[in-house]
Amino acid sequence: MSLAVGKRAIEINEADFVDAEGALETWQHWPASTLSHHGQACCDIAREWILSMDYSQLGGGNVLAGPRWVRHKYKWGPSRWPIHWCEAVRRKTLDCGALAAIAHQVFSNRGVRSLPAQFIQQFSEDATRDWSDRWKGETCAPNWIREDLIYHEGCAVVTGGQSGNEIKVWDASAGWWVNPRQYGGYGGLLAIRLFDPQAAPDATFNWDTHTLSPNVWQKLKRARKELA
Amino acid sequence: MKIYISGLYCGTNPQPGVGIARSLRDGYPEATLVGVEYSNRSSGLHWKDFDELWLQRPWDELSLKEYGARIKEILDSGALWVSGSDLESLWLSDVFPEGHPNLLTPPNGALKQITKPAVPAHEGLPLHIPTFISTDCSDWELHAFCRRYDWRVWLKGPYYDASRVHNWSDFEAVRDALSRVWATDRLFLQAHVTGYEESIVLSAYKGELAGCVRMRKREITPEGKTWAGDVTEPPEEFSTKLREIVKRLNWTGGAELEMVRDAEGKLWLLEWNPRFPAWIHGATIAGRNMPALLVEAATGTPARAPEPHSEEFTRVVLEVPVRSQLPLPPLPEPFAGAVGHSLKHPSGLPALAERLHKMKPEILEGHANGNGNGHSNGNGNGNGHAKAQVSCVPEVPASFLQDLSQYRFADVATPAWLFLDSTASETFVRAEKLADTLTTPGVAVTNAYSIKTNPDARLIKLALEHGFLAEAISLLEVQKALEVGFRPDQVILNGPGKWWPEGLMPKEQLHAVFCDSIADLKRVVGALGRGELSAKTVGVRLRTPHIGSRFGIPVHTPEHFETLVEAVGTLPEDCAFGIHFHMASSNVGVRQWWHLYESMLRWCRSVESLTGRRVETLDVGGGWFPDDWHTDSGERFASAVAAAREHLPHLKQILSEPGKAIAQPSMALAMRLLEIQEMDDDEVEAVVDGSIAELPMHAFQPHRILGRDAETGEWLPLKRGKTRLMGRLCMEHDVVAWNVELPEGVSAGDVLIFCDAGAYDRSMSYVFGRG
Repeated sequence: MSLAVGKRAIEINEADFVDAEGALETWQHWPASTLSHHGQACCDIAREWILSMDYSQLGGGNVLAGPRWVRHKYKWGPSRWPIHWCEAVRRKTLDCGALAAIAHQVFSNRGVRSLPAQFIQQFSEDATRDWSDRWKGETCAPNWIREDLIYHEGCAVVTGGQSGNEIKVWDASAGWWVNPRQYGGYGGLLAIRLFDPQAAPDATFNWDTHTLSPNVWQKLKRARKELA
Repeated sequence: MKIYISGLYCGTNPQPGVGIARSLRDGYPEATLVGVEYSNRSSGLHWKDFDELWLQRPWDELSLKEYGARIKEILDSGALWVSGSDLESLWLSDVFPEGHPNLLTPPNGALKQITKPAVPAHEGLPLHIPTFISTDCSDWELHAFCRRYDWRVWLKGPYYDASRVHNWSDFEAVRDALSRVWATDRLFLQAHVTGYEESIVLSAYKGELAGCVRMRKREITPEGKTWAGDVTEPPEEFSTKLREIVKRLNWTGGAELEMVRDAEGKLWLLEWNPRFPAWIHGATIAGRNMPALLVEAATGTPARAPEPHSEEFTRVVLEVPVRSQLPLPPLPEPFAGAVGHSLKHPSGLPALAERLHKMKPEILEGHANGNGNGHSNGNGNGNGHAKAQVSCVPEVPASFLQDLSQYRFADVATPAWLFLDSTASETFVRAEKLADTLTTPGVAVTNAYSIKTNPDARLIKLALEHGFLAEAISLLEVQKALEVGFRPDQVILNGPGKWWPEGLMPKEQLHAVFCDSIADLKRVVGALGRGELSAKTVGVRLRTPHIGSRFGIPVHTPEHFETLVEAVGTLPEDCAFGIHFHMASSNVGVRQWWHLYESMLRWCRSVESLTGRRVETLDVGGGWFPDDWHTDSGERFASAVAAAREHLPHLKQILSEPGKAIAQPSMALAMRLLEIQEMDDDEVEAVVDGSIAELPMHAFQPHRILGRDAETGEWLPLKRGKTRLMGRLCMEHDVVAWNVELPEGVSAGDVLIFCDAGAYDRSMSYVFGRG
């Protein structure tokens, strides 16, 4: 962690000190997570349960509402992969990949266009050391951690909007919509990659002021820290 | 420069005075800031940025005339006044009808345009108004509103205070409390909008917009107040429209538009407050000093440019020293056994509201006037300001009056249940026609009469005559149906107590049996195998997974669901398979019930695909309020049948069990007035010979109450008023109606009719206090 103490503010890990390029290189070829299926009734039952339960949990709300109930049911924590549907629904904890895969499935089942999403986020070395120990303690590889940066997963849903390709980004592990205004720092989102296998070569998605091309890692432009 | 700033309350729901002072100190370091307050309990008095304090007596003591004159002197002397209180602004707009150059609050005409909940001023902005209804409407209509919006509704006061109400007894309690606090019955109910809260704050002087910012709440207190937020520029199209509106209103002062953004991104306007918000210094931290922009516009004196720190702000709790001349007052003595010291509104704002109502009753006219809905009218505006007809008495069906005319009340020993013959017949006829209409070549829709709702043989017979099946929850109910004339194959057996009492299970084949638990299913399978039970259809009742219920087989965990799937596989193949779910729509709300229906179709489809058992029968219903069932009976039901067929292609029969929608209107309860006692403040206490023993649903739903016009003898619905109708029982909670107005000239011995008492009021009534 680096601290720059100034008269006006204390800022943690300004962009200059973050090895975003190294992180992008590390996670360049990671695919988005998907749950496996045994091809038998066990996984059929599990998948049907998730999808039916999600529709019930909507409670008459909008299909674009985030499925926070999933995170409410499953704690975030280490998961050994591969994970089959029948295993996932019975676990007490799921990692970000499993939670994101479930969220992607439930949005799609609601008729909402959902795209798997990968994030690179900045935390602190204290935080990542703690996570690393926890993952190792459960014999899971902490390969999603690189110094104070982490690899994370969620999904993006296409809300349409005026342009027809506006999106919101759901962090299934946190149970919130990611703020498109990013300032860096602890929890800051540095880069994002959306997966859309059917995308045309020039396709883009609008996330507030960001224009995102699918299937490539893209660093996010930071919001101004103050109004002009 | 001297600036008076009011609204220094700094509790968990703070006023903006301290935030305004902090911002003005930034913008005008040399200005003299005078804190104005009406209670020495307001902690903002001790904030360091105030150079002087002007502490007045609370609003209930203050001489408004003299106080107004003193404020005029202050303004005439060149000082500015920034108000931090809605009601103070309202009062000042009356004291200064032509305004004053140094009074930085909105003029009266502008305030009229922002009255809650319609907020006419919003026209032109891309905002919707959440649907609302005035509490001037009858209880019957208010209950309907709550059901329509799934009991996700807020009861709001005319100026401050909002309380979520979840059921009818909540509503009655909150209405009583808010009416007392704000000295008015003019409250409103508003549909809840789920989403994220954000605000637009503006600063304007004489119709010129000096600036505006957008703030999204990023942390909130348990009361929903801002604890942290981010501040950005509003969208250009919003600012442009706002500028036009500010000009049209000739707005002066600060303002906050409180909004909710729903999942689709639509913005719903909750309130337009005529002042800066308490978090206003957060905007200054972001580089937009709105109070300073206001003062700059009013005086022409440039403010010091704000030093931007961050787009985001948060609050912390600070302890500050108490000023030596303002020692803390003691806490009032707690009432016996009470928690807390009742310190809400220490400056006496409710007293100011009451005084304003007396001085100018018209100020309440804009509040909660009419009904409104938030549907877009094509240009993005809500039309919640529509002044729809407000009916303060409920509509009473003609058939009720016709049926009542058959009774000679002089001969009726009260309290007495009145069977409304033609009303009951009409209801069954309508249900029969509806089922016929909904039936398609592939799917038969059949009504079922829930015997428990009202086991009166006349109703069961009507059910039989109009093609209903009989739905029983015990073998005694089965026997009752058979006694009235139902055949066993016209009986559906449900519920956890279906085997009670032993030995009464018919040997003949029943129409359907639905298992309420896995244990019940095992017993049913065993009985079928031994020939002790026979049914054309055997199925399961599903427990609603996200709405609390004690009935049916749970599916709320994957393990339970797997158990269900395995158990369904054990049902004999020679019976048809069916699924049953019931939930009282009057309790969960109409929209939520229909969502539940859609979600249960998905569960049914899942069960069908996982077990290979074709779902041939679907049994749905329960707890429909008559108006909802009859109002909705057209297209909504037809599309429900189509949806069922779409999800369940092998479906052959839908059993529709409307519950109290059939029975409730069929009976009324007559009771006599025993005593009428006039109390203080126009309040009346009347004792009747009926009681909650005959009206056990009084806490769950309103009843339309009829009284006779003394001159014409006509039965008329009672209006809302200040009479409490107390039952004959010596029980504290025996109050059958809280707020009615008895007909002119009524006296002891006169009869009142409580309509809508034919369902659980009748079947769950009990004998009490009769010796």
